[in-house]
Order: sequence, then structure tokens, then C-alpha cells
Amino acid sequence: MDQHVPTRRQFLTAVGNLASASWVALNWPSIAAAAEPMQHGHHAMAMGDEAPPTAITTLAPSEAADVEAIAGLIVPSGKTPGAREVGALLFIDNALGSFFKDQLASFRKGLGEFQAGFAQQPGVTTPFARAPEAQQTAWLAQVDKTPFFLAVRRLTVLGLLALPKYGGNKNNMGWTLIGVEDNHYWEPPFGYYDRDYPGFQPYPGTKPYTA
Amino acid sequence: MPKTFKTSEIVDFVVVGSGASGGIMARELALAGHSVVVMEQGPRMAAYEFEHDELKYRNLSGITNNPATNPQTFRSDATQTAKQMNGRNPLTYARVVGGSSAHFNANFWRLHEIDFIEGSKWGPIEGASLVDWPITYAELEPYYTKVEWEVGVSGLAGASPFDPWRSKPYPMPPLPVKSSGVLFERGARKLGLHPFPSPMAINSIDYKGRPPCAQCGLCGGFACEVMAKSSSVWTMIPEAEATGNCEVRSESYVFRIGMSAAGRATGVHYFDKNKVEQFQKAKAVVVCANGAETPKLLLNSATNSQPEGLANSSGKVGRYLMFNKGGGAMARFEHPLNEYKGANVTRILHDFYDSDPKRGFYGGGGFDARSGGPLTWGQSVPPGTPSWGQGFKDYLESYTYWMNCSGHGTSLAQETNRVDIDPELKDAWGVPAIRVTYKDHPDDIKHAKWQVERAVEIMDAAGASQIVPGEVGAASGGVHLLGTCRMGNDPATSVIDKYHRTHDVKNLFLCDGSSMVTSGRGQPTLTIEALAFRAADHINRFAKANAI
Repeated sequence: MDQHVPTRRQFLTAVGNLASASWVALNWPSIAAAAEPMQHGHHAMAMGDEAPPTAITTLAPSEAADVEAIAGLIVPSGKTPGAREVGALLFIDNALGSFFKDQLASFRKGLGEFQAGFAQQPGVTTPFARAPEAQQTAWLAQVDKTPFFLAVRRLTVLGLLALPKYGGNKNNMGWTLIGVEDNHYWEPPFGYYDRDYPGFQPYPGTKPYTA
Repeated sequence: MPKTFKTSEIVDFVVVGSGASGGIMARELALAGHSVVVMEQGPRMAAYEFEHDELKYRNLSGITNNPATNPQTFRSDATQTAKQMNGRNPLTYARVVGGSSAHFNANFWRLHEIDFIEGSKWGPIEGASLVDWPITYAELEPYYTKVEWEVGVSGLAGASPFDPWRSKPYPMPPLPVKSSGVLFERGARKLGLHPFPSPMAINSIDYKGRPPCAQCGLCGGFACEVMAKSSSVWTMIPEAEATGNCEVRSESYVFRIGMSAAGRATGVHYFDKNKVEQFQKAKAVVVCANGAETPKLLLNSATNSQPEGLANSSGKVGRYLMFNKGGGAMARFEHPLNEYKGANVTRILHDFYDSDPKRGFYGGGGFDARSGGPLTWGQSVPPGTPSWGQGFKDYLESYTYWMNCSGHGTSLAQETNRVDIDPELKDAWGVPAIRVTYKDHPDDIKHAKWQVERAVEIMDAAGASQIVPGEVGAASGGVHLLGTCRMGNDPATSVIDKYHRTHDVKNLFLCDGSSMVTSGRGQPTLTIEALAFRAADHINRFAKANAI
């Protein structure tokens, strides 16, 4: 086995058996093989191993197209992935069909108003998703305080950064975008400023002591 | 096999709640040889079942009271009709074995000597009920030490010039500092302040059969997957069960305390996991359900002879609700801090712990350096930052460069701030739901704003390139649920005596955040646990003397 970053299941199994997370962190490459057989005796994990949704099942195609277009303007594509690449639409569709299903009716109503309002804008001849970007951004600027837009924005950010099992954050691209590495444990130094910390210096008149 | 009891058996004690205080209470009573049944509303989860799932835990009530099934209403004063809040409850707590000790941040501050005597020190404050505790720091100190050693706390004793005296050091050294702690310390020291390693109920080394922290970075709101966080579910509960005298009955929702005609508690009515009503007989009941659920249970247990609620002859059950109000700032630095790594808090300061009349208002607190999960962080932007488009994306990409300097402070007890029962709303079990009435005392607001100014100063001194002062708004809920069955010597003005026995029912005891007389300065769990060890000592003494 040449895997150096354990799955969550492997990590927790190893910690459970060896009772030292730090030891596991330091010695993972050498114990990964030993941990692998143990996992099969454990219950299935509640996360990480679940397959994300792969199809749009809640929103109609025309709804999905416009929502994806809005999400793509909230976190645009470019040199780094945006909402489209991370699969924010899959997350939004999954959310509105399951754990946020009580929001679906108001979301749909808001989307309908958004679409109708856009259609009435001067020069608009296509649905929002197929409109020129200049028309799209001009309309978003008019409605970006509305509850519907704020709902799409919230869902887009959730889709960017929630676990991939919910449909977004494909291949951890959302976390990569914001600089977050996916791991179950860390060792100091954690960041730039704790690299050269000289240790805690006592104050005059104090006498720190340990067990 | 863990011990189990039949509901028809009359056990010595039923403990309602398995959290910070319930776990200790169960362990101490069981160790003394008493038969104990712990009733917990939520399920029992193994370590591997807890997840790094910020969506589930922060947005979907993964292990907390769910507004869909455990709804509450809120109003800011009694002239209003309380309403349900949009998608959330005002009072949040974990609903699993281990209670809120499962998902807390694990900041473990002791109260200081001043906390117990502020009524005498500062005198009456208009609109508030600032009174002394019936116990002192000296009486609680041995129990603080007991918590630190029995439950497990890491820290550096004697590091802060403002620390109260202590009889023993921490059993474990401090956790490793993270970048937020270094910057916080740098800024605070420049200002002449005294930051120090934060005491945390998280293992820094192997301790009592549990591993050190894996530094996964998700503490607050999450339960610990490696059992390094000293939560009741990993510490006191297993030890209670190991006595052979204690059963932890999960998914068992106590909704009424049974009472005899003679005015004694006879056990608890509860719904089992199939929502079937059961009754567990007991010689005595100890309610450790938290500052929201404990008063709710008492108020829902009214009898003909106690029509205003059980143990409520004073009318104080549910009153004096306190959170811990505070203010802080978010700050950006030149290089990545990577605050998503490492235990949430590594440095704090207590220079401003005491109230100071020169400020012109009552209030004091502490500050810490801390972080938040990315999903929650990304939902808002600083003023002037675009909320969509490339500017927003640029902001998202700066996540690892930010930290929080957070102030934690006092909330004054006010009789009008309360938990009571909503006249209409019921939960998924048909149990009358909590109604919260809460409005900040003006001094709480002033102090929080003052804390924001100090946080900005600290971050500026630390060299931040951008500082976002926190907004101080009106409190509409909290997670520190304090003061709602306050302790006192006078039955006319308090619910329990200094031994946690209710003034009105001899074999009914209460011990959790509801017992606290003042709010402290945030981070109440260590005090709640010290109170539990102390209360258990006295309850065992009473039992031995046949005085229950």
C-alpha cells in the first residue's frame, strides 16, 4: 500500500486501536497497512464513504439552468474553479429535494419572480441562463438584496464548502479554492506565525508550574 | 454488559441529563454505591459516528436540539407574543449522551473569587439582580481541581497574573500554540497585557486512557472523533457505568417529574425511543438537564399543590436567564494562519476580567484567539467586500489568512429574562415547548462594545492588515444557558439551596448551568462540573445520613 493520507475510516480505526492520534499522525505511512484490515470489522462510516448525487432530480431543467447561472456569477469560474466546477448546482438540487425541502416552495416562487423580472428588462430576449453576461450581472445587481438571491448565495457557498457527499465541493475543489487541505489530523506548525514561536515567556512575579 | 434496571424497580437516583453535570453526578452517586439511572433525550453515539460535517452540525441540527422537533419561541419582552425564529432555536444545546460537553469548544476557565461576591462588591444595579453566591471560590476550589484531574484539562498553572489561587497545577501541559495564539499574544504583550496558554478540556498528552488531540481543528459544535476532548461521554459516563450501579438510558425524554401526595418526587415520566410513555421509579431525582431544559421540566411538572411549577414557590424557576455577552473582531494578516488546523483556542487573557467603575458600566470578561469553520465563515463578508462576483471569490480565497479575537463577558441577571412555557406550542412529543423572553441589560451592551474596541486594539498591535470590528446586536439566544434555577439561602428568592436541593421538594436536586447566580465571564462548563462534584458530595452525605 502506498497511500500516505488515510481515509477517515482508516484513521479512526487506527486511533481506536492504538490510542494515540499524534502517534498515528507521525507514523501513518508505516501503520496504514496494518490499519487497513481492521476497518472491515467496523460499522460503515456516516460520512466520507457516501456517494454524492450525480443527477438533477428536484429542479426542472430550466430552473436548474438559471440557478447554475446565478451560482456561477456568485463564485465565478476563472483560473481557479468556481461554483460551476465544484458542482454547486448538484448540491442546491440535492438540498432542496432533501434536508432543505421545506424551502423548495419559496425558492421556486422566488426563482419564478426572478425569471419574470429578468424577462421584462430592456433588450432581454432569452432565459437568464442564456443571456449575455452583461445582462445577467446588471440584473443581479438589481436583485442582490432579495431573499431569493440571498438564498441562492447561501446555498452556493454551502455547495462550495460542504462535504462532497452532498453534491458540491467536487473532489474537494471548494476547500482547495480557499486553501483548506482535507486531513483528519495536523501537527504544529499549523501556520506561518507559529513556526518560530520561542515558547511562552513568564511575566515578572509569576511562577508557572506544571504537574 | 452495562447494568440495566426495570422501570418498576425503585432506583436510588434518577439523573436527568448526561452532560457536563449529569455525567459527574451519575459517576459520583454510583461510585458511592447507589443505583442510578441516567435519562438522556438524545442518542448514544460512538466516537466514529461523529463527523467533520460542518453543514450537518452547524446548519442541520446534527446533534443539537432541532427546531423542527424541539421548537422554542422567542420574544424580547413580555408585551410581545413570542414567535418561532426562522430555522433556529434561541437556546441551543447538544442532544446526545454527553450533552453539550460533547460539542463544546472545551474552554475551561475557573471563575475568580470576585465572581461569587459581586453583589456585595458592586451593590445594586438598576434593572438587574446582581447578588452574591451562597458559596465562595474557596469552597469550590477543591472541586475545580477535582474536575481538572478527574475529567482532564491541559493548561499552564500560574501563567496569568490574574488567575485565582489554586491547590494543584493542571494535570497536562498546554496544547501547542497556533498562529492565532501567537499573533494574539504578540499584540496583547505590546499593549502591556498578559496573554497566557488557554486551559482546555482537551488532552495534550495521553491521559486516563484517551489519546492527545489530533489537532483536526473542529472542536466547537463538533464532538471529538478521537475522544481527546474531555466530554462526559468519554470520561464520567464510562466510569459511572463501570461501577456496575449505573444505567445510561438514551433516547429517553423526561417530560414530567412524578410527585406523591406527600410532596416527594417518586420518579420520572418519560418517552422512550418509540415515543411510548414510561415511568421510572426512584427514591430521589437529580435534574442536570441544562439551563433551558431544567426549568422547562419543573414548569411542566406542576401539581395541584404546586400549580406554578415544581419547586417554584419563589416564582423564580426559569427567571434570571443569562448568556455570556461579548464582542470581538476579525482580523486578516499577511501570511496564512491556517486556523482550520489545531484546537480552536490556544491563548487567552484575563486583564479585563474584573468590572471597573471607571468604564462607566458594570461588566468584565476575557479574550481569546480563535477560529471558525470555513462554511460558516464564508456566509458573510466584511463591510465593503462584494458579496458575489470575483471580489467575493477573492475574499473566499483569503480564508486561511483570518482569525478572530473574541471577547467573552458578563450578562447581568434580570428577573424579566426567562424561560417559561409557551401557551400554545408543543414539541414532536406533544410536550409544551420553551418560550424565551430576553433583552440585554444596557450595561451588557456597553461592555460588549467596549470589548470590540479592545479586540481591535489587540489585533492592530498584532500587525493585522485588515480588521473587521464585530457588530454588537441584541441577544436573541445563546448556548451558555445560565441562572434559571438560581442557588441561594433564601427560599423566597432562589430555587435551590447551597447544596443544590430544591427549597420545596426534599428529594429533588438540580445541578447545571441553571444553578449559577451570576454569569461569570464565559466558558461556564468547568464551574458547572465543579458544582456537580460538590453537589454530589453533599447528596451522598445526605443519603448516608438518611436525610433525603
